[in-house]
Amino acid sequence: MYNVTFYLRRLHSLVGLFVLGIVILEHVFTNATSLGGPAALNGGLAMMELIPRPIFYGLEIFGIAIPLIFHAAYGIYIALQANCNPGRFGYVRNWMFTLQRWSAWYLVPFLLWHIFYLRIFTKGINGVPISYELLDSYFQNPVVVILYTIGMLAAIFHFCNGITTFCMTWGIAKGPRVQNVVSVLSMLLFAALSLVTIAFMAHYVLF
Amino acid sequence: MAEEQKKVRFVIERQDGPNEKPYTQEFDVDYRPGLNVVAALMEIQKHPVTVDGKRVAPVTWECNCLEKVCGACMMVINGKARQACCSLVDKLDQPIHLAPARTFPVIRDLLIDRSVMFESLKRIQGWVEIDGTWEVKDAPIQNPYTAQTAYEISHCMTCGCCLEACPNVGPQSDFIGPAPTVQAYLFNLHPLGKFDAPKRLNALMQKGGITSCGNSQNCVEVCPKNIKLTTYLAQLNRDVNKQALKNIFNH
Repeated sequence: MYNVTFYLRRLHSLVGLFVLGIVILEHVFTNATSLGGPAALNGGLAMMELIPRPIFYGLEIFGIAIPLIFHAAYGIYIALQANCNPGRFGYVRNWMFTLQRWSAWYLVPFLLWHIFYLRIFTKGINGVPISYELLDSYFQNPVVVILYTIGMLAAIFHFCNGITTFCMTWGIAKGPRVQNVVSVLSMLLFAALSLVTIAFMAHYVLF
Repeated sequence: MAEEQKKVRFVIERQDGPNEKPYTQEFDVDYRPGLNVVAALMEIQKHPVTVDGKRVAPVTWECNCLEKVCGACMMVINGKARQACCSLVDKLDQPIHLAPARTFPVIRDLLIDRSVMFESLKRIQGWVEIDGTWEVKDAPIQNPYTAQTAYEISHCMTCGCCLEACPNVGPQSDFIGPAPTVQAYLFNLHPLGKFDAPKRLNALMQKGGITSCGNSQNCVEVCPKNIKLTTYLAQLNRDVNKQALKNIFNH
């Protein structure tokens, strides 16, 4: 009666774009500073350490952890309602719909691994601060590099295609022309962020 | 001396009853210019003999108008959901594969039960309330600026192509599907129907309503009546969001 499904679904949409989208952009931009060498990235990370701890933990819990858990859990529920059929109906948007779900399925285990290893185990339990040197040695393992690059690209795609579907879900982009424009623009953003990601991942590996 | 008669091969997915196992049979039909899938099925009905020469029960399917207006003959032809009556053999890859639209319960062979869409139309109040509690007199005029849109959506023949193509419609989901959802917009445009617009928008907010749309946009690709389903789904999303704000802030 209170249309719980409706509000949960809309919250899922808002959280994905405005909360987790910012988290993705922060990761891309902070890592991109590593292109300027160890000092640049460590300087950026040190600046984050200047944020008073209670505020920092508050941001981590309410700005990342809770939204991410909600988005992932409700997202799994949504993904299970789809019977992806790009083989039968191979239209562009149907492929996007399918890739949105496939990228999500990759991101669930990837983010569990990423968060538990780097944030909870390395930084939290062992007390080793995240630094250029740490990431540089972490990304000497080719398996880690490949899984992380796929993870970043999956997250960026999920976010960028999410912009398009957000505009449809909220009735912002109504007609086919404007929906097409939004779709092309968000895929250009995907291309740009992906290039930056590949550049800094290559930089970690090569230098 | 007689020239060899050209044949068209049909590979048909059959099923003897709602809970029976599907199997396939192949039939050859004499080619003739302008042959369509319904006409071919009628030939098979007259002479239900498979390519192996076995006499079998005739293939069951549903059709009515034979001019892409009633929606009854929707089936999966070469993998795509479409109307059999307007599927010309000349424009299809051969052999032609026919299968029932399994988004719906199969009754027998190609015959499906599409009554779930009627139930969905009841859910979204797909009618105009004229119960005598207000004076109707002459029919009210349609808004000339939206009449074209209303006319377009009124072409919907509840064939179910969009539900068959939609990845979010099926036993794994409770989505009512694009066709019944978009009908809510048709009745919201009607000069008398619009009085019940909040009711319809609230119905769309419920589980299985418009929120279950995942924007795969297959519906608009397969609609045999070329209804701009995704455009009206976006419009309904807009209307539903406004209605949600009203629900929150009006009380």
